[in-house]
Formats: sequence, C-alpha cells, structure tokens
Amino acid sequence: MKQGFRQCMAWLHTWSGLLVGWILFAVFLTGTASYFRGEISDWMRPELHAPAAGGEPAILAIETLKRLAPDSPTWFVFPPGERNSELRVVWRNPPGKPTPPGSRGFGNMVLDPATGEPVTARESYGGEFFYRFHFQLHMPPLWGRWVVGFCAMMMLVAIISGVITHRRIFADFFTFRPGKGAGRSWLDAHNALAVLALPYHLMITYTGLITLMLMYMPWGVQAVYKGDRGGFQAEVFGVAPPVRRANQPAPLAPVGPLLEEAMRRWGGPPGRIEVQQPGDASAIIRLTRRDSEQISSNPQTLTFDGVRGTLLGASGEPGAAAATRGVAYGLHLGRFASPLVRALFVLSGLAGTAMVATGLVLWAAKQRHRHARAGRAGFGLRLVEALNLGTIAGLPTAMLGYFWANRLLPLHLADRADWEVYCFFLLWGLAALQALFWPGLRSWATQFAAAALLGLLLPVLNLLTTHRHLGVSLPAGDWAMAGTDLLVAAFGLLLGLLSWRLFRRAGRAPVTRPVRGAGLARAEGA
Amino acid sequence: MAALGFGLAYAGFLGLCLAMDRHHAELLRGRPAAGRRWLLRGVGWLLLGLSLLPCLALWGVGIGIVAWLGLLTVAAYSLVHLIPYAPRLALWLGPLLPLAGLALSLAPT
Repeated sequence: MKQGFRQCMAWLHTWSGLLVGWILFAVFLTGTASYFRGEISDWMRPELHAPAAGGEPAILAIETLKRLAPDSPTWFVFPPGERNSELRVVWRNPPGKPTPPGSRGFGNMVLDPATGEPVTARESYGGEFFYRFHFQLHMPPLWGRWVVGFCAMMMLVAIISGVITHRRIFADFFTFRPGKGAGRSWLDAHNALAVLALPYHLMITYTGLITLMLMYMPWGVQAVYKGDRGGFQAEVFGVAPPVRRANQPAPLAPVGPLLEEAMRRWGGPPGRIEVQQPGDASAIIRLTRRDSEQISSNPQTLTFDGVRGTLLGASGEPGAAAATRGVAYGLHLGRFASPLVRALFVLSGLAGTAMVATGLVLWAAKQRHRHARAGRAGFGLRLVEALNLGTIAGLPTAMLGYFWANRLLPLHLADRADWEVYCFFLLWGLAALQALFWPGLRSWATQFAAAALLGLLLPVLNLLTTHRHLGVSLPAGDWAMAGTDLLVAAFGLLLGLLSWRLFRRAGRAPVTRPVRGAGLARAEGA
Repeated sequence: MAALGFGLAYAGFLGLCLAMDRHHAELLRGRPAAGRRWLLRGVGWLLLGLSLLPCLALWGVGIGIVAWLGLLTVAAYSLVHLIPYAPRLALWLGPLLPLAGLALSLAPT
C-alpha cells in the first residue's frame, strides 16, 4: 500500500459521505420528522377531533364496515391510540369489481371515533408523506428504496471509515472551538455530532438497512422457502394466509368481548383488527398488539373464530431470527418510546442531520480554502456549494411550506393531497434555483430566514385558519395539535438564530463583487 | 428518575473532561496533578456507570439501555456546548444537576 491505512480510510470517508450526502441529509431530516408521523397527520386534519367518550370506536367501525363493504373479503380497523386520534378502516374490494385507479384494490376511509360515521376531513397525506419520502424519496417505490438502501450502505461505510480516520477520537472527545477559522470549527462540530451520538448513528443506519433487507437480499428466503412466500411471511411477520370462503352466511361475532380478552392479556387495546370473510361461516377475527410498550416490533396476535368468538390461537413468541429482526425494526421506528425516550430519539436524529450537513459544509470550506490561494473556484466546488445550499437550507424550507400548503390550499381542490406535495417540491425547486444562480452567504441567510418565518408563524396561521389553535389546544391537552405547533415554532426559532448569525457574518464579510460559488466557506475563511 | 440519570451522566462526563490537560486548563486553570487526574477519571467513569441505574429502574433493561445511550449523548452535547460559551456554568452544573435529579426523584409525586 502506497499510502497509510488511515489516509485510505480518510479518502473513503470523504467520498462515501460526499457523493450521497445530500440524499442522506434528506433521509435523516424527513426520518426525524417521521417520529411525529401520527401527530403530523392529526395536525393536517384539524376537522377530526380527539376521541370523545362515546362507544368503543372499534365496535362502531365494524358496524360501519358492515354497511360500507358487506362483500369485502377482508376488513382492517386501526383504532385511535395515544399518539393519533384517527379511526381508520381499510377493506379489500371484492374480486371482479371495478375499483378506482390507484387504489390497488383497497378501500380506505377515516371515521369519526365518536359516532363511527365517515368524516369529511381535508385530503392530505399528512405525516405519511415525510415517512414515505424518508425511504423512497417520492420515486417509484422499488427505485426509491434501492437508492435509499445504496445511500444507507454508503452511510455505514462513512461511519466506520470515519471512526477509523478520526485521529484523536478520545483526545478531542469534548472539543468544540467555535469561531476558529478555516474549517476548524466545522470539523469540531462534525466530530462532536458524529462521535457523541455514534451509538444512534450506527443503530439507525444498520437497522434501516434491516427494514428493507428482504428487498436487497432476497436469495436466502428464496433458497429456503423455495418460492413459498406465504409460508415465510406467516412465520416471520405473522401475516396470515387468506381464509377460504365457505359461502354459508353467518353473523359476525360481537367484537366487544374479544377486545376485553386482548385487554386482559396485553394490558392494552389492540392496534389493528383484521376481519377475514366477514358475514361468512369461515370468518376469523385477528387482533394485533399495539407497538408501544415493547421494543420489538414483532406482531403479537390473537386469532378468534369470527362467528362463535372463541379463541383459536395466539402468536407472538417468535424464533430467534424473527425476534432479532423484530427488535432491529422496532428500534428503527422507535414506536415503543415513551415521550421522553422519543425526545432522545428526535434529538439524536437532528444530530445525525446536522452531522451530515456539517460534513458537506466542511468539505466545501476546505476546498474553498485551498482554492482561495489558487484563485478561482472549480466547477466541482461550485456544484457542491449549490447542492449544499439547495438541500441544507432548501429542504427545511420546503418541509415547512408543506405545513402551510395544508392550511392554505382550498379545501375542495381536486387532488388536494397531491397539490400539497407539489407545493413542497415547488418551494424546494425555488430554493435550488436560488442556490444555483445566487450562491453565497447572503442566500444561506435569506433561505434560513424564510424557513424561520414559516416555522415561527405556523401557530399564527393555525390560529387564523382553524378552531384548534394554541389558545384552545393547550388548555384541552390536545398534544398532537399543540405539540406540532410548538415544535415547529421551536424549529423555526432555531433556524432564525442560524439566519441571524449568518446575516451578521455576511455583513462583516468584505464587500466585493460576489464570487461565483462563494458559500459558507468564504465566511469561514474570512 | 430520568433527571437523575441525566445529572449523573453529565457529572461523569465533566469528570472525564477535567481529567484532560486542555479542558482542565480551560475550566480550572493549570494542569491536573497525576493523582487528581486519576481521581477525576475514576469518579467520572463511576458516575457514568451509575447513570445507567435510574434508566434501568425507570424503563426496564431493553428500553433502559436504549434510553441510557440517548441520555449520554444529550449530556455530552450539553457539556461540549457549554465549555466554550459558559465555562463557569459548565463547572457548576456538575454537582448541581445530579443533586437536582436526586431531589426530583425523591420528591413525592
């Protein structure tokens, strides 16, 4: 080897991090937002109210499904829980019936938890959009997942090579020197963000790969199960193979006693109720335990005879491999977490986002320092600086704009949910254009300022457009609403501080003709 | 309980930090003598170990360890950011945070 091992690792760290850094930034930031998937979805449908003390929502939902989809072979009921107030029903359309395009044969409706009647909430993807974007980037699912998986693999490479190449991991453990020039501060920040949250970074990247492992590495399963995908699914995921219809009408057993049985066994209500062949003698009802309370996300289920209501079987003591996967998957989603533990996950997620961002800015700062002596910035540096600005400042702006679109778009616009997403990409596109044509410190400052305003004023917008503003939601303890308002505003405040510092720095920087491609790095060198 | 875990973790990191020449000079002036260095290091590791216990008591083994790692991260971040901006506060929080945590966890709820 011509160079030392450490130089090789430094090279590997630089390029594995830089080439996929912008996608990783987006994956980290939208992933962190996904810890609030339920709350964001609630916030985006202010017409839905928190469950009132009425009947049991799940029983009401079953009654509604009997009317809505009597011929459907399978119903799913997702009752409201601590973290979402939505009562959702999904049903498989009977075979041979025409279904609307894009529905993939499933019907889907949100019900009022107090009455069980369908509600007319505004159309929105809510927190689902960030969640999907996090692992498939709004691309066709397979493509997106492959791209994200490749980037996650690169992330794992970058983490490990980064640890190896970090010369003074213990000596610099507590080191942060703000205000030192020439990339020193960025390096310190990057190191601190990476090292101090290292357990989280490793865990989240590794478990992220595991969530999609069957897509990336399907061959083991193919070899062992020889194409019997159903058998594999049943053994690992607890997904039951479909029940054959007996074609003898029989009334469905009342669900109330089954819910009590689940309550007695698990100490909590189920998170999902599945009814197969309702109204037929072959009907079964399967209850799945909620994800909270345990790390492992392996489903625990109770299966009942759908006519007599007797318990047929309980699953949920999986084998070692399935249990390992369950724990990994559960750790990644963090659904087990109580509010405090979730806050720790969110902070670590933000640290990961900032780690990627500081790494990207650090590269540009170093290059610019090098180019400052040579004279002119090369194309590569200009490209990286534009991408940095367009992503690191542009994405938060676009995400906050998505919240605004949810409140401002007309309620009865056709394809309203899609328009919210278009608004997100429109804003992101504008940010990217600014990054391309007006690079420089001032653009960083203005983009962060725009994002800060969008965040700080969101509670005001909510006050003007809904009846569930902070003055109402706080006294009522409506945490999905108040928490989203407050957290987004806090995020806005953070961006505001950032923008304020950048403006001050831009004011101090020598007033020269703006150099094409000057970015954060210039102030750093100044 | 969580506050106690956080306080102990913070104090533990502060001990380890003070055992290093550069940070000792920043926060307390001068280099630590050998005996003092070992004392700080020992107490630091001890407190870090102790900070696991409240987490286990509060959350059980599985979630407790996950939460503990998260608390360690947040405690270390707090310290790293306080050192350059508010060094005196960073030092005072060392004894204050665990005591406050203890008081909170003993307080009748």
